[in-house]
Amino acid sequence: MNTGQREALLRAMLDELVSKGYGEASVEAAIGNAGVSRADFVGDFRGKDDCLFAAYDQLADRLVARTSARCDSIESWPERVREGLAALLDQLAAEPGMARALTRAFPGIRPDTYERYVSLLGRFTPFMTEGRAYAEVDEDLPGEVELLAVGAAEAIIFGEVDAGRAEQLPAMLPEILFSVLVPFVGPERAADEMRSAAATS
Amino acid sequence: MGPRPPFLGDEDRDRVLLATAELCAERGYEALGVDEIAARAEVSGDRFRELFPDKETAALIVIDEILAAIVDTAAKLYSPDRSEAESYLEGIKALLEMMSAAPATAYTAYIGARQMMPPRLTDRRESGARMLAVMLERLRYYSTVETQPPIAARAAIGGAEAVVRREVALGRTAELPKLLPDFIYSATVPFLGQEEALRLARTTAAQLTEKHEP
Repeated sequence: MNTGQREALLRAMLDELVSKGYGEASVEAAIGNAGVSRADFVGDFRGKDDCLFAAYDQLADRLVARTSARCDSIESWPERVREGLAALLDQLAAEPGMARALTRAFPGIRPDTYERYVSLLGRFTPFMTEGRAYAEVDEDLPGEVELLAVGAAEAIIFGEVDAGRAEQLPAMLPEILFSVLVPFVGPERAADEMRSAAATS
Repeated sequence: MGPRPPFLGDEDRDRVLLATAELCAERGYEALGVDEIAARAEVSGDRFRELFPDKETAALIVIDEILAAIVDTAAKLYSPDRSEAESYLEGIKALLEMMSAAPATAYTAYIGARQMMPPRLTDRRESGARMLAVMLERLRYYSTVETQPPIAARAAIGGAEAVVRREVALGRTAELPKLLPDFIYSATVPFLGQEEALRLARTTAAQLTEKHEP
Protein backbone atom coordinates (compact mmCIF):
# COMPACT_ATOMS: atom_id res chain seq x y z
CA MET A 1 0.00 0.00 0.00
CA ASN A 2 1.21 3.48 -0.71
CA THR A 3 0.84 6.24 1.88
CA GLY A 4 -2.40 7.54 0.44
CA GLN A 5 -4.00 4.10 0.39
CA ARG A 6 -2.90 3.42 3.94
CA GLU A 7 -4.33 6.77 5.08
CA ALA A 8 -7.62 5.98 3.38
CA LEU A 9 -7.77 2.53 4.97
CA LEU A 10 -7.02 3.79 8.47
CA ARG A 11 -9.67 6.43 8.14
CA ALA A 12 -12.20 3.96 6.73
CA MET A 13 -11.54 1.64 9.66
CA LEU A 14 -12.22 4.42 12.16
CA ASP A 15 -15.37 5.38 10.22
CA GLU A 16 -16.53 1.77 10.55
CA LEU A 17 -15.80 1.82 14.28
CA VAL A 18 -17.65 5.08 14.89
CA SER A 19 -20.68 4.22 12.79
CA LYS A 20 -21.12 0.54 13.76
CA GLY A 21 -19.30 -0.02 17.04
CA TYR A 22 -16.40 -2.38 17.63
CA GLY A 23 -18.32 -5.63 17.32
CA GLU A 24 -19.87 -4.78 13.97
CA ALA A 25 -16.97 -2.81 12.48
CA SER A 26 -15.95 -4.70 9.36
CA VAL A 27 -12.50 -4.97 7.85
CA GLU A 28 -14.08 -5.98 4.55
CA ALA A 29 -16.21 -2.85 4.47
CA ALA A 30 -13.21 -0.67 5.33
CA ILE A 31 -11.14 -2.30 2.60
CA GLY A 32 -13.94 -1.69 0.12
CA ASN A 33 -14.47 1.91 1.16
CA ALA A 34 -10.75 2.65 1.02
CA GLY A 35 -10.35 0.99 -2.37
CA VAL A 36 -7.53 -1.34 -1.30
CA SER A 37 -7.24 -5.10 -1.69
CA ARG A 38 -7.45 -7.79 0.97
CA ALA A 39 -3.85 -8.72 0.11
CA ASP A 40 -2.78 -5.12 0.82
CA PHE A 41 -4.50 -5.26 4.19
CA VAL A 42 -2.91 -8.57 5.15
CA GLY A 43 0.47 -7.26 4.05
CA ASP A 44 0.28 -4.37 6.53
CA PHE A 45 -1.89 -5.55 9.41
CA ARG A 46 -2.31 -8.70 11.49
CA GLY A 47 -6.07 -8.11 11.73
CA LYS A 48 -8.81 -5.72 12.76
CA ASP A 49 -7.32 -4.75 16.11
CA ASP A 50 -3.88 -4.10 14.64
CA CYS A 51 -5.43 -1.81 12.04
CA LEU A 52 -7.57 -0.02 14.62
CA PHE A 53 -4.60 0.61 16.90
CA ALA A 54 -2.59 1.97 13.97
CA ALA A 55 -5.50 4.20 12.96
CA TYR A 56 -5.93 5.54 16.48
CA ASP A 57 -2.21 6.18 16.96
CA GLN A 58 -2.03 8.04 13.67
CA LEU A 59 -5.06 10.15 14.54
CA ALA A 60 -3.63 10.96 17.96
CA ASP A 61 -0.22 11.82 16.48
CA ARG A 62 -1.85 14.14 13.96
CA LEU A 63 -3.89 15.89 16.63
CA VAL A 64 -0.86 16.54 18.81
CA ALA A 65 1.36 17.55 15.87
CA ARG A 66 -1.16 20.04 14.45
CA THR A 67 -1.74 21.51 17.89
CA SER A 68 2.01 21.92 18.42
CA ALA A 69 2.52 23.39 14.96
CA ARG A 70 0.06 26.17 15.66
CA CYS A 71 1.38 27.21 19.03
CA ASP A 72 4.98 26.13 19.58
CA SER A 73 6.56 29.31 18.24
CA ILE A 74 4.49 31.62 20.44
CA GLU A 75 6.68 33.00 23.22
CA SER A 76 4.09 33.96 25.83
CA TRP A 77 2.81 30.88 27.67
CA PRO A 78 -0.82 31.99 28.17
CA GLU A 79 -1.04 32.94 24.50
CA ARG A 80 0.55 29.65 23.51
CA VAL A 81 -2.03 27.76 25.56
CA ARG A 82 -4.85 29.78 24.03
CA GLU A 83 -3.66 29.16 20.48
CA GLY A 84 -2.95 25.48 21.15
CA LEU A 85 -6.40 25.04 22.66
CA ALA A 86 -7.97 26.85 19.72
CA ALA A 87 -6.11 24.52 17.33
CA LEU A 88 -7.33 21.48 19.23
CA LEU A 89 -10.95 22.63 19.31
CA ASP A 90 -10.88 23.57 15.62
CA GLN A 91 -9.65 20.11 14.65
CA LEU A 92 -12.26 18.32 16.72
CA ALA A 93 -15.03 20.56 15.38
CA ALA A 94 -13.93 20.01 11.78
CA GLU A 95 -14.15 16.23 12.10
CA PRO A 96 -16.82 15.22 14.63
CA GLY A 97 -16.59 11.56 13.64
CA MET A 98 -12.87 11.49 14.30
CA ALA A 99 -13.46 13.37 17.57
CA ARG A 100 -15.79 10.57 18.62
CA ALA A 101 -13.25 7.94 17.56
CA LEU A 102 -10.63 9.67 19.69
CA THR A 103 -12.68 10.12 22.83
CA ARG A 104 -15.20 7.30 22.94
CA ALA A 105 -15.34 4.72 20.14
CA PHE A 106 -11.75 3.45 20.39
CA PRO A 107 -10.98 4.05 24.09
CA GLY A 108 -14.25 2.37 25.05
CA ILE A 109 -13.50 -0.98 23.41
CA ARG A 110 -11.63 -2.48 26.36
CA PRO A 111 -8.92 -1.66 28.93
CA ASP A 112 -5.91 -1.81 26.57
CA THR A 113 -7.53 0.62 24.13
CA TYR A 114 -8.45 2.87 27.04
CA GLU A 115 -4.78 3.04 28.02
CA ARG A 116 -4.09 4.69 24.64
CA TYR A 117 -6.49 7.46 25.63
CA VAL A 118 -4.70 7.92 28.95
CA SER A 119 -1.44 8.24 26.98
CA LEU A 120 -3.01 10.76 24.61
CA LEU A 121 -4.06 13.01 27.48
CA GLY A 122 -0.57 12.67 28.94
CA ARG A 123 0.90 14.02 25.70
CA PHE A 124 -0.80 17.36 26.32
CA THR A 125 0.61 17.87 29.81
CA PRO A 126 4.05 19.15 28.65
CA PHE A 127 2.22 22.11 27.06
CA MET A 128 1.20 23.14 30.56
CA THR A 129 4.42 22.81 32.56
CA GLU A 130 5.67 26.34 31.95
CA GLY A 131 2.52 27.62 33.63
CA ARG A 132 4.02 26.80 37.02
CA ALA A 133 6.19 29.91 36.68
CA TYR A 134 3.05 32.05 36.32
CA ALA A 135 1.58 31.17 39.74
CA GLU A 136 0.68 34.09 42.00
CA VAL A 137 2.01 32.23 45.02
CA ASP A 138 5.55 31.32 46.04
CA GLU A 139 4.58 27.83 47.05
CA ASP A 140 4.93 24.93 44.57
CA LEU A 141 1.72 24.00 42.80
CA PRO A 142 0.44 20.42 43.25
CA GLY A 143 2.36 17.66 41.49
CA GLU A 144 -0.55 16.77 39.23
CA VAL A 145 -1.46 20.33 38.22
CA GLU A 146 -0.69 19.75 34.54
CA LEU A 147 -3.06 16.80 34.20
CA LEU A 148 -5.65 18.56 36.37
CA ALA A 149 -5.65 21.36 33.78
CA VAL A 150 -5.71 19.05 30.76
CA GLY A 151 -8.44 16.98 32.38
CA ALA A 152 -10.56 20.08 32.96
CA ALA A 153 -10.54 20.77 29.23
CA GLU A 154 -11.08 17.12 28.42
CA ALA A 155 -14.19 16.91 30.60
CA ILE A 156 -15.87 19.70 28.67
CA ILE A 157 -14.64 18.51 25.26
CA PHE A 158 -15.72 14.93 25.96
CA GLY A 159 -19.19 16.06 27.03
CA GLU A 160 -19.71 18.13 23.89
CA VAL A 161 -18.41 15.45 21.53
CA ASP A 162 -20.51 12.82 23.25
CA ALA A 163 -23.61 14.99 22.97
CA GLY A 164 -23.02 15.42 19.23
CA ARG A 165 -22.01 19.07 19.60
CA ALA A 166 -18.36 18.90 18.53
CA GLU A 167 -18.97 21.67 15.99
CA GLN A 168 -19.71 24.08 18.83
CA LEU A 169 -16.37 23.56 20.58
CA PRO A 170 -14.52 26.55 19.06
CA ALA A 171 -17.17 28.89 20.48
CA MET A 172 -16.37 27.50 23.95
CA LEU A 173 -12.69 28.47 23.75
CA PRO A 174 -12.88 31.33 26.30
CA GLU A 175 -14.61 29.23 28.97
CA ILE A 176 -12.40 26.21 28.47
CA LEU A 177 -9.33 28.46 28.51
CA PHE A 178 -10.37 29.76 31.94
CA SER A 179 -10.54 26.22 33.30
CA VAL A 180 -7.16 25.25 31.83
CA LEU A 181 -5.36 28.35 33.11
CA VAL A 182 -6.98 28.73 36.53
CA PRO A 183 -4.88 26.12 38.38
CA PHE A 184 -1.74 27.98 37.26
CA VAL A 185 -2.66 31.65 37.43
CA GLY A 186 -5.71 31.82 39.72
CA PRO A 187 -9.24 32.94 38.92
CA GLU A 188 -8.61 36.67 38.41
CA ARG A 189 -5.98 36.27 35.73
CA ALA A 190 -7.73 33.32 34.15
CA ALA A 191 -10.85 35.48 33.89
CA ASP A 192 -8.78 38.22 32.21
CA GLU A 193 -7.53 35.70 29.66
CA MET A 194 -11.07 34.41 29.15
CA ARG A 195 -12.35 37.91 28.44
CA SER A 196 -9.45 38.59 26.10
CA ALA A 197 -10.13 35.38 24.18
CA ALA A 198 -13.84 36.22 23.99
CA ALA A 199 -13.04 39.66 22.63
CA THR A 200 -10.76 38.36 19.90
CA SER A 201 -12.59 35.19 18.88
CA MET B 1 -13.74 -12.56 43.36
CA GLY B 2 -11.87 -9.43 44.41
CA PRO B 3 -12.46 -6.89 47.19
CA ARG B 4 -16.05 -5.82 47.76
CA PRO B 5 -17.08 -2.20 48.17
CA PRO B 6 -18.95 -1.47 51.43
CA PHE B 7 -22.27 -1.08 49.65
CA LEU B 8 -22.30 -4.64 48.28
CA GLY B 9 -22.99 -7.72 50.37
CA ASP B 10 -22.64 -11.44 49.66
CA GLU B 11 -26.11 -12.18 48.33
CA ASP B 12 -26.45 -13.55 44.78
CA ARG B 13 -27.57 -10.15 43.52
CA ASP B 14 -24.55 -8.36 44.97
CA ARG B 15 -22.11 -11.02 43.75
CA VAL B 16 -23.51 -10.60 40.24
CA LEU B 17 -23.05 -6.84 40.49
CA LEU B 18 -19.46 -7.22 41.68
CA ALA B 19 -18.75 -9.78 38.94
CA THR B 20 -20.13 -7.35 36.35
CA ALA B 21 -17.81 -4.63 37.63
CA GLU B 22 -14.79 -6.93 37.77
CA LEU B 23 -15.23 -8.29 34.26
CA CYS B 24 -15.84 -4.81 32.88
CA ALA B 25 -12.51 -3.75 34.44
CA GLU B 26 -10.72 -6.77 33.00
CA ARG B 27 -12.19 -7.01 29.51
CA GLY B 28 -14.37 -3.97 28.86
CA TYR B 29 -18.15 -3.79 28.79
CA GLU B 30 -18.76 -4.89 25.20
CA ALA B 31 -17.05 -8.25 25.63
CA LEU B 32 -19.11 -9.15 28.71
CA GLY B 33 -21.50 -12.07 28.46
CA VAL B 34 -24.22 -13.05 30.88
CA ASP B 35 -22.87 -16.57 31.30
CA GLU B 36 -19.41 -15.29 32.09
CA ILE B 37 -20.79 -12.89 34.69
CA ALA B 38 -22.86 -15.66 36.23
CA ALA B 39 -19.84 -17.99 36.39
CA ARG B 40 -17.72 -15.32 38.11
CA ALA B 41 -20.54 -14.68 40.58
CA GLU B 42 -20.93 -18.42 41.14
CA VAL B 43 -24.60 -18.41 40.21
CA SER B 44 -26.34 -20.19 37.34
CA GLY B 45 -27.35 -18.41 34.13
CA ASP B 46 -30.98 -18.93 35.12
CA ARG B 47 -30.35 -17.33 38.48
CA PHE B 48 -28.75 -14.34 36.74
CA ARG B 49 -31.86 -13.96 34.56
CA GLU B 50 -34.12 -14.18 37.62
CA LEU B 51 -32.24 -11.26 39.10
CA PHE B 52 -31.62 -9.14 35.99
CA PRO B 53 -33.08 -9.22 32.47
CA ASP B 54 -29.70 -8.57 30.84
CA LYS B 55 -26.14 -7.40 31.41
CA GLU B 56 -27.09 -3.79 30.69
CA THR B 57 -29.49 -3.74 33.62
CA ALA B 58 -26.89 -5.33 35.89
CA ALA B 59 -24.37 -2.68 34.84
CA LEU B 60 -26.95 0.07 35.34
CA ILE B 61 -27.62 -1.12 38.86
CA VAL B 62 -23.87 -1.19 39.61
CA ILE B 63 -23.76 2.48 38.61
CA ASP B 64 -26.87 3.28 40.65
CA GLU B 65 -25.40 1.57 43.70
CA ILE B 66 -22.22 3.60 43.37
CA LEU B 67 -24.16 6.86 42.96
CA ALA B 68 -26.37 6.01 45.94
CA ALA B 69 -23.29 5.36 48.07
CA ILE B 70 -21.81 8.70 47.00
CA VAL B 71 -25.03 10.58 47.81
CA ASP B 72 -25.29 8.82 51.14
CA THR B 73 -21.69 9.69 51.99
CA ALA B 74 -22.11 13.31 50.93
CA ALA B 75 -25.33 13.72 52.89
CA LYS B 76 -23.65 12.53 56.09
CA LEU B 77 -20.72 14.89 55.68
CA TYR B 78 -22.55 18.21 55.38
CA SER B 79 -22.61 19.71 58.84
CA PRO B 80 -23.14 23.20 60.26
CA ASP B 81 -19.84 22.70 62.13
CA ARG B 82 -17.89 22.55 58.87
CA SER B 83 -17.30 25.13 56.12
CA GLU B 84 -18.56 24.33 52.62
CA ALA B 85 -14.98 23.71 51.48
CA GLU B 86 -14.25 21.41 54.42
CA SER B 87 -17.44 19.45 53.80
CA TYR B 88 -16.48 19.04 50.16
CA LEU B 89 -12.98 17.98 51.20
CA GLU B 90 -14.41 15.31 53.50
CA GLY B 91 -16.74 14.16 50.72
CA ILE B 92 -13.93 13.72 48.18
CA LYS B 93 -11.84 11.95 50.80
CA ALA B 94 -14.62 9.49 51.60
CA LEU B 95 -15.25 8.88 47.90
CA LEU B 96 -11.56 8.16 47.20
CA GLU B 97 -11.29 5.81 50.16
CA MET B 98 -14.37 3.95 48.96
CA MET B 99 -12.94 3.65 45.44
CA SER B 100 -9.43 2.70 46.55
CA ALA B 101 -10.83 -0.22 48.53
CA ALA B 102 -12.60 -1.72 45.51
CA PRO B 103 -10.60 -1.30 42.25
CA ALA B 104 -13.16 -3.01 39.99
CA THR B 105 -15.93 -0.73 41.19
CA ALA B 106 -13.67 2.27 40.66
CA TYR B 107 -12.95 1.13 37.10
CA THR B 108 -16.65 0.74 36.35
CA ALA B 109 -17.53 4.10 37.91
CA TYR B 110 -14.80 6.18 36.32
CA ILE B 111 -14.01 4.46 33.03
CA GLY B 112 -16.59 1.81 32.12
CA ALA B 113 -19.60 3.96 32.86
CA ARG B 114 -18.08 6.93 31.09
CA GLN B 115 -16.61 5.55 27.92
CA MET B 116 -17.52 1.91 27.45
CA MET B 117 -21.23 1.56 28.09
CA PRO B 118 -24.38 2.44 26.12
CA PRO B 119 -25.89 5.94 26.46
CA ARG B 120 -28.54 4.94 29.02
CA LEU B 121 -25.73 3.96 31.39
CA THR B 122 -23.26 6.72 30.61
CA ASP B 123 -26.01 9.32 31.06
CA ARG B 124 -26.66 7.97 34.53
CA ARG B 125 -23.01 8.31 35.43
CA GLU B 126 -22.84 11.83 34.01
CA SER B 127 -25.80 12.81 36.18
CA GLY B 128 -23.67 11.80 39.17
CA ALA B 129 -20.78 13.97 37.98
CA ARG B 130 -23.19 16.89 37.51
CA MET B 131 -24.45 16.39 41.05
CA LEU B 132 -20.89 16.75 42.37
CA ALA B 133 -20.51 19.87 40.23
CA VAL B 134 -23.67 21.37 41.71
CA MET B 135 -22.29 20.75 45.20
CA LEU B 136 -19.03 22.40 44.21
CA GLU B 137 -20.92 25.34 42.73
CA ARG B 138 -21.83 26.37 46.28
CA LEU B 139 -18.25 27.64 46.66
CA ARG B 140 -19.16 30.36 44.18
CA TYR B 141 -20.81 32.26 47.07
CA TYR B 142 -17.44 32.50 48.83
CA SER B 143 -15.54 33.64 45.76
CA THR B 144 -14.00 37.08 45.42
CA VAL B 145 -14.21 36.74 41.64
CA GLU B 146 -17.56 36.80 39.91
CA THR B 147 -16.52 35.86 36.43
CA GLN B 148 -16.07 32.10 36.58
CA PRO B 149 -17.75 30.59 33.54
CA PRO B 150 -20.74 28.30 34.13
CA ILE B 151 -18.60 25.26 33.28
CA ALA B 152 -15.98 26.04 35.96
CA ALA B 153 -17.21 23.50 38.53
CA ARG B 154 -17.71 20.70 36.01
CA ALA B 155 -14.27 21.37 34.52
CA ALA B 156 -12.61 21.40 37.95
CA ILE B 157 -14.14 18.03 38.77
CA GLY B 158 -13.10 16.84 35.31
CA GLY B 159 -9.48 17.67 36.09
CA ALA B 160 -9.54 15.51 39.20
CA GLU B 161 -11.40 12.75 37.36
CA ALA B 162 -8.69 12.64 34.67
CA VAL B 163 -6.07 11.92 37.33
CA VAL B 164 -8.35 9.33 38.96
CA ARG B 165 -8.96 7.60 35.62
CA ARG B 166 -5.23 7.45 34.90
CA GLU B 167 -4.53 5.87 38.28
CA VAL B 168 -7.42 3.41 37.94
CA ALA B 169 -6.46 2.47 34.37
CA LEU B 170 -2.87 1.83 35.43
CA GLY B 171 -3.92 -0.33 38.37
CA ARG B 172 -2.92 2.19 41.04
CA THR B 173 -6.33 2.59 42.66
CA ALA B 174 -4.87 2.07 46.13
CA GLU B 175 -2.84 5.25 45.68
CA LEU B 176 -5.89 7.47 45.15
CA PRO B 177 -6.25 8.81 48.71
CA LYS B 178 -2.66 10.15 48.54
CA LEU B 179 -3.76 12.45 45.70
CA LEU B 180 -6.45 14.08 47.79
CA PRO B 181 -4.51 17.35 48.32
CA ASP B 182 -4.17 17.77 44.54
CA PHE B 183 -7.89 17.14 44.05
CA ILE B 184 -8.79 19.62 46.76
CA TYR B 185 -6.65 22.22 45.02
CA SER B 186 -8.28 21.50 41.66
CA ALA B 187 -11.81 21.69 43.06
CA THR B 188 -11.39 24.90 45.01
CA VAL B 189 -8.93 27.05 43.05
CA PRO B 190 -11.48 28.42 40.52
CA PHE B 191 -13.60 29.79 43.36
CA LEU B 192 -11.31 30.45 46.30
CA GLY B 193 -8.07 31.39 44.50
CA GLN B 194 -4.62 29.88 44.66
CA GLU B 195 -3.67 30.93 48.18
CA GLU B 196 -6.75 29.45 49.86
CA ALA B 197 -6.77 26.38 47.61
CA LEU B 198 -3.15 25.66 48.51
CA ARG B 199 -3.91 26.20 52.20
CA LEU B 200 -6.68 23.62 52.02
CA ALA B 201 -4.41 21.25 50.09
CA ARG B 202 -1.68 21.67 52.75
CA THR B 203 -4.15 21.03 55.56
CA THR B 204 -5.31 17.88 53.82
CA ALA B 205 -1.75 16.70 53.25
CA ALA B 206 -0.97 17.24 56.94
CA GLN B 207 -4.04 15.22 57.94
CA LEU B 208 -2.96 12.39 55.65
CA THR B 209 0.54 12.40 57.17
CA GLU B 210 -0.88 12.36 60.72
CA LYS B 211 -3.14 9.46 59.82
CA HIS B 212 -0.20 7.39 58.60
CA GLU B 213 2.17 8.22 61.45
CA PRO B 214 2.25 5.70 64.31
